[in-house]
Amino acid sequence: MNHAIRADKFLLDADRTTWHDETLWFVREKRDKAVYGVPEFQELRELASQIKNHTLSRLDLYLQEFEAAAQANGVHVHWAADAAEHNAIILDIIRQQGATRVVKSKSMLTEECHLNPYLIQHGIEVVDTDLGERIIQFRDEAPSHIVLPAIHLKKEDVGDTFHTHLGTTKGESDPQRLTEAARQHLRAKFLAGQVAISGVNFAIAETGGVVVCTNEGNADLGVNLAQVHIAAMGIEKIIPRLTDLGVFTRLLARSATGQPVTTYTSHFTKPAPGKEMHIVIVDNGRTQQLGRPDFRASLKCIRCGACMNTCPVYRRSGGHSYDFTVPGPIGAILSPNIDMKKHASLPFASTLCGSCTDVCPVKIDIHTQLYKWRQVLGEANEIPASKKWGMKFMGRVLASTRVYGLGGQFARRALRLLPHGLTHATSFNAWAVARELPAPPKQSFREWYAKQPQPAPQPQPKLPA
Amino acid sequence: MSASRDRILAAAQANKPDELPLPEVPLFGGDATAERFASVLAGIGGTVVWLEGLGSLVPTLQQLFPEARNTASPLFRGTVPVDAQTSTGILAEIDLAVLPGEIGVAENGAVWLPEANMLHRALPTITQHLALVLDHRRIVATMHQAYAQLPGTGGYGKFVAGPSKTADIEQSLVIGAHGARSLVVLLY
Repeated sequence: MNHAIRADKFLLDADRTTWHDETLWFVREKRDKAVYGVPEFQELRELASQIKNHTLSRLDLYLQEFEAAAQANGVHVHWAADAAEHNAIILDIIRQQGATRVVKSKSMLTEECHLNPYLIQHGIEVVDTDLGERIIQFRDEAPSHIVLPAIHLKKEDVGDTFHTHLGTTKGESDPQRLTEAARQHLRAKFLAGQVAISGVNFAIAETGGVVVCTNEGNADLGVNLAQVHIAAMGIEKIIPRLTDLGVFTRLLARSATGQPVTTYTSHFTKPAPGKEMHIVIVDNGRTQQLGRPDFRASLKCIRCGACMNTCPVYRRSGGHSYDFTVPGPIGAILSPNIDMKKHASLPFASTLCGSCTDVCPVKIDIHTQLYKWRQVLGEANEIPASKKWGMKFMGRVLASTRVYGLGGQFARRALRLLPHGLTHATSFNAWAVARELPAPPKQSFREWYAKQPQPAPQPQPKLPA
Repeated sequence: MSASRDRILAAAQANKPDELPLPEVPLFGGDATAERFASVLAGIGGTVVWLEGLGSLVPTLQQLFPEARNTASPLFRGTVPVDAQTSTGILAEIDLAVLPGEIGVAENGAVWLPEANMLHRALPTITQHLALVLDHRRIVATMHQAYAQLPGTGGYGKFVAGPSKTADIEQSLVIGAHGARSLVVLLY
């Protein structure tokens, strides 16, 4: 199943699609307002881009510097080549504690590794504590956005879910009251949590500490009440210096939601006395992406989601249509690295308008990479035959003045003569699914131009000798 | 495990691009006034209250939080003594924590709160309401200046900008997700 077919499912509910589109555009507008309030914002983007480029160019060295500093802080550092190893390491840490109750804050990496089902299968209770993530965990769904995981749902959906799982009044859909119900429910989980798992927004090579940004405070509450903290990070989360955070904390929340900063920017550097802290550093395809010169810039991503909020395709197709942990434009350039065959349709889920590139706070050339993935996919024969031959055919037509002219003549005549049912047959004309074809003009521009009187010769300006 | 470590580091070394320079980050200028700090904080759901001096802290708190029964603070004798060993059950009953903040950031309303000022690491988020006491001369314009002034991040520390909040249900802003339901910064 490809992106377009999954998007069709999302589009069945026109009102909801419109709401989704407008809501995410509103987030984009909030982003713009926040960005315009910072005169040096473009300079910050350039600095962030350069810091990330530099870090990738010394990644092995910074990872070792980070590891040594973290170990000196009394933190256990683990390395996982892939998702299976990441999951096994985390289960092992939990089992060594004899723990069965885990509270988790947001981590796209653990989603990518499918950690939750793995732990649950091994008898561990895993509770996602970010409100949006808890909602979709109850519903057994995947997040549809990396910052707004439940953006595909309406408050009535959440009301139904909470009625089933938390016993709220049937029909209750007030966000304030639903959030309060979740607060009470999750407080009990926080108080009982034995192990807390968090993601990592930034890992500082210089200090060995990790930074986690949340608005709800769920990471702080979970980590600081549990005996053990496990922080899972991809190798690309490294930044060199503590002061680099000045740049990234100014960009992240403004780009994501238009806030000046997240409510909590928490620095976890050493375990509290008598407690344990573990950091799991994960590759899972990232070093491979680092080795692709055209695509390595995708590793600069700080997961703000701005490219999703602005994308005309994402807004009208929903996060689930991408069928990948990270949806939207950035997901469409990360996913083919993981599984080119499975995700072959994603780089085509774009108009190449470039809006994603314009808003990216670390200046990833997202739309250029989308275009380049299309070339790679074409060469690897991973695009459907109809698209491949259609493109080849159109390439020929458009490359020849004569064939193009004949084709135009034929089309103008055929559109007038053939029955509507045939020209608008949706089985081969996808354009006509929701649109009328334009009325065919009587003549082409070139035919019209040839009939115009030749303009009088213009007097030539005298050039100085 | 160490086999994976070696494999990852070897692959990163083999696949990385030629070395690129690390830029110097300027401190940038900006508005570092208490007025700016207060208006930004109000915009994200927090409140600034001016103290005439630290002496008026307790009466001001009594006015602001007349219903707070269980209070914890290193600045005055609260009703609940809290330290790093305090049990989860006792922490969960705290109504109000009053903690000294170190640096305020005018551009985003954040206050740096190091572990040494928290009594217990969980206190600032588990308390129902949080008040941070801050010397107005410690307000800087931007995050660059805040990080430049930090002596380090200690074992744990955080910037706190406003009360805990969420918009995960239909993008409706709700104050009081999991952490403190309200945040007051008491400037002196």
